[in-house]
Amino acid sequence: MIDPFLLSMLITILASGIRFATSYIFAAIGETFGQISGVLNLGVEGIMLVAAYAAYFVVLQTNEPGLGLLAAILVGIVMGLATAFLSVTLKAEQGISGIGVYLFGLGLSDLLFRVTVKSVQTVKGFPNIHIPALSDLPILGPIFFQHNLLVYAAFALVPLAWFVLNKTTFGLQVRAVGQNPEAADTLGISVARVRYTTLTLGGALSGIAGASLSIALLNIFQQNLTSGQGFIAVALVYFGAWQPFRVMLGCLLFSMVNALQLTMQVNRIPIPADIALMMPYILTIVALIFAARQLVIQPAALTKPFERGE
Amino acid sequence: MKRLTCVILLIAALALVACAAPTPTAVPAKAFKVAVIMPSAINDLAFSQSMYDGLVAVQKEMGKDKFEFAYTENMFNVPDAAAAIRDYATKGYDLVIAHGSQYGASLADIAPDFPKTAFAWGTAVDTFASKGVKNINAYTVQADQGGYVLGVIAAKLSKSGKFGLIGPIPAGDGKLHIDGFEAGVKATNPKAIVSKTFTQSFSDAALMSQAAQTMVSGGADVLTGTSQAVVGAIAVAKEKNVLWFGNQSSQVSLAPKNVVATQVYDWSPFIKQMVNNTKAGKLGGEVMVGTLKNKVLVIQYNPDYKLPDDVKALADKTVQGLIDGTIQTGVK
Amino acid sequence: MNIQHVQLRNITKRFPGVLANDRVNFDVRAGEIHALLGENGAGKTTLMKILYGLYQADEGEILINDAPVRIKSPSDAMRQGIGMVHQHFQLVPPFTVTENIALGLRSAREPMLDLDAVGKRLRELASRYGLHVDPHALVWQLAVGQQQRVEILKALYRDAALLILDEPTAVLTPQEVKELFVTLRRLTETGHALIFISHKLHEVMQISDRVTVLRDGRVVGTVATKHTNTKELARMMVGRDVVTSWDKPPVKTDDQILRIEKLSALDDKGLPAVKNLSLDVRAGEIVGIAGVSGNGQRELAETLVGLRRAESGVVSVAGRDLTNHDPADIIAAGVAFIPEERMTMGVIRDFTVQENLILETHAQPPLARKALFDFDKIAAHASQLVREYDVRTPTLDTPVKSLSGGNIQKLILARELSRAPRLLIAAQPTRGVDIGATEYIHKRLIEQRAQGTAILLISEDLDEVLALADRIAVMYEGEIVGVVPPNTPVDQLGLMMAGAKRVSS
Repeated sequence: MIDPFLLSMLITILASGIRFATSYIFAAIGETFGQISGVLNLGVEGIMLVAAYAAYFVVLQTNEPGLGLLAAILVGIVMGLATAFLSVTLKAEQGISGIGVYLFGLGLSDLLFRVTVKSVQTVKGFPNIHIPALSDLPILGPIFFQHNLLVYAAFALVPLAWFVLNKTTFGLQVRAVGQNPEAADTLGISVARVRYTTLTLGGALSGIAGASLSIALLNIFQQNLTSGQGFIAVALVYFGAWQPFRVMLGCLLFSMVNALQLTMQVNRIPIPADIALMMPYILTIVALIFAARQLVIQPAALTKPFERGE
Repeated sequence: MKRLTCVILLIAALALVACAAPTPTAVPAKAFKVAVIMPSAINDLAFSQSMYDGLVAVQKEMGKDKFEFAYTENMFNVPDAAAAIRDYATKGYDLVIAHGSQYGASLADIAPDFPKTAFAWGTAVDTFASKGVKNINAYTVQADQGGYVLGVIAAKLSKSGKFGLIGPIPAGDGKLHIDGFEAGVKATNPKAIVSKTFTQSFSDAALMSQAAQTMVSGGADVLTGTSQAVVGAIAVAKEKNVLWFGNQSSQVSLAPKNVVATQVYDWSPFIKQMVNNTKAGKLGGEVMVGTLKNKVLVIQYNPDYKLPDDVKALADKTVQGLIDGTIQTGVK
Repeated sequence: MNIQHVQLRNITKRFPGVLANDRVNFDVRAGEIHALLGENGAGKTTLMKILYGLYQADEGEILINDAPVRIKSPSDAMRQGIGMVHQHFQLVPPFTVTENIALGLRSAREPMLDLDAVGKRLRELASRYGLHVDPHALVWQLAVGQQQRVEILKALYRDAALLILDEPTAVLTPQEVKELFVTLRRLTETGHALIFISHKLHEVMQISDRVTVLRDGRVVGTVATKHTNTKELARMMVGRDVVTSWDKPPVKTDDQILRIEKLSALDDKGLPAVKNLSLDVRAGEIVGIAGVSGNGQRELAETLVGLRRAESGVVSVAGRDLTNHDPADIIAAGVAFIPEERMTMGVIRDFTVQENLILETHAQPPLARKALFDFDKIAAHASQLVREYDVRTPTLDTPVKSLSGGNIQKLILARELSRAPRLLIAAQPTRGVDIGATEYIHKRLIEQRAQGTAILLISEDLDEVLALADRIAVMYEGEIVGVVPPNTPVDQLGLMMAGAKRVSS
């Protein structure tokens, strides 16, 4: 029999890992669409912040997590469209305009928070769902079946994203536009329309990612709530080689290792805190190196604005 | 296209500046002018807010015509903070406070250029007198004292005997609070199991939240912590309905049912002391250590939490013991 | 077939500073191949992009079966039955053949893909026109000739009745060209109209029914192919008689300059690209390396000039071992290099003509004194080279990126030859360069040969190799499959280039 102490640790790590992978999955899958269509959106963090604030504020006023989520999606769509306008229509340097969107989101969310809410308060976000029978299962119950709606939605999104990218005409267009926009253009596909669509979709998903922090996982808002999650999500897309399931694995790995190091600290397993905290990042870097070694089919037109030739 | 990018960055920068810009309060001349540089926001429910609350208290006592203050918040970037310090000194503020131990080196560089201005920083005990600097004060708190009192209360209230302590980095007043808390718990319940976690981040609320959840699922029914990121942990305390003991500023508003008591830093005695010193021509060299005795450390109870009388009595006794020296926290 | 006759009438297209098409008239009928001939920049591609809807004409009109039509996008063109096979294939390399065909088409099961249905019809089309290709193959794994078939199939799948073929033979081996011509004949037999864009005269003579020659955006004339010859077409293209064959006195010495012995090198992906290759070039001799692109020519050239590591083997110049020496050493040993990638390796785009002319010699007297430039000497040196090599540039301070390909190539030639090299490695020296400039570059190479320089000429243009080389080494998959004299029949060279035949040297 497995030691009950170890078992409870394991359950904690898995449950916490799954739960906190949520925001990464939403943001990284959204980013995957953008990158596959050839646009590197570094503004994810900024979109997450404004959307997290919007969701939080709406829930604070209405006590309706559903309305909060809707607000976050709307914010995400608007900021996704703005990102598309910058990188597709104006053909701005993607790295720099992304940082611009991030700084804008960081500033705006903090400003609005100060003006409208002033001080940190908690809100009643999405509750954990109790699924009869399943939630009460030993071991499996706490790991898989005691989460809130957005956690399940995040994991449901992954096969959906895979299906859209690989089995639909739209998905084929998205992939083509990221690999060879000139070819897509000659076949009558509007490169701009496809990229606007993916960036808007990515914005909406980044918005949900932000909301998942402020009204599902943490139920608070504060300045710079996301503290770098959006940027990690961008890296996880590379890590996952633009394939939704691998991106999800990256998100899970990242958040599991995080949970592991916290559990080790909490349970006084003597490892220096600094080493423990470096673990997720070291692992990510190692995995990235490993990923880079295999022949990965990177979107060939990534970061390149499209212009009709000659 | 480059111009466009510049415009975007400019707008973003303006949005940031709008949040970080100094906000002076308009007052007639001849008032004593204080400026403060803070690492996070004045509403962080933690370190920065404790200083802001102290300034407001002093202003209320002395009157707006006698005491004027300005502040710059969110100075997480030390070079920016250094620029702000210099800026305030140039504008003729009487006392410039760099509220963060990361600002010390910058302050030691700047202060000698403004020999008529008084400076202060904390939490710290070095006035740089050894380097010949004469106009820097240092302030700190023996946060282990309040932590100890809270630990005693916590040990009495806990049913599981398991405690979760969360800090940003194992240093400074946050570590003192946590070590004091642990000592208080252990003194009251030698069998208690205490978990300590340092997330290495002052701002990552998600990580604090994840740490708190890990502790609660490990059986902890009492949590405490330090830094502006603890709001993530407090939200967990509220959701999981476990007890929370605060530090630095009152955190009752966040979880009225779960916050038992808070060790509040009331900097107003030190601010007043520095105002008087400065007016008397003593601009620096003062090392001020906040304790329960000098009432810079205050145990603030949540009126909505019904603390049993015997526990309250024990807490009061512990405070008295720490003040008169019959109780030592044992924390170095 | 709904296209009998397509006419372009008085088409004018202006780009900033350039009149790309000036009142151009052009027409093509079902069942014929009409060749569009002209130098680079003559306006052929612009005209075809207008017909295909990628550009809009400023003036003029397009008529299909005598009715005016507006073609505003490639989708419009496809709807009208116009298809285009681009010079640079418009394929998505990581996609399968079927996915490339299906891209942009409405599916019967919208929004879902229906690749099975596409694959089925694709197979029918392929067998009808003899364009065999595996529908499930990934495009990047296909040979260039097969990729071209996919391009043609893509147009046919969209019911193209008129096919525009933009320089379709540029990337093919002689055998693949033959197969392509068979396909094109079959397409005309089934009533398709074909526009064949090229600057290769003998191909135009071979395949077309009519030829229209463009020069500087204007139509020089339209002639029936059977009533003309290459010499006349060349004169129409360039505006004067063009030299295409050169008299070369026999090589005088046995003085070996370049010696390559059992050389091996890897490509960018770390796979073997040059395999155990041995070759030598004598003073005053041009050795041509023929081969289809991607058979290790680029890696060979880069290894010789120190830009790529030799895994094994020896490279020596005039008896001195230079294997894996750095480029500065190799330059100092008297090796000149005309790289294949003109814009990225040959020049610094944003530097001026003058700066680009002194890239290698700027730190040496007389151009520099200690650490300082002598700008007067530099200007004198540069203006002399510009004059001597006929580089057409407004000023010495013009950035090279605004010069034409031919002028940039002349600039590189001037820089490299002004150092009086013992060995010249010229990789694709005339690719993308117009006939006039090509003629000039060839003349210079022949002159250099007469002065005793050893020249290694790497070219995918078989005509060029045949015209210049004293010996031809055919390269296939990183190896020299044979060294043959320049009077070797083209058919035999073609087989060697395709790896089908080896000749022991």
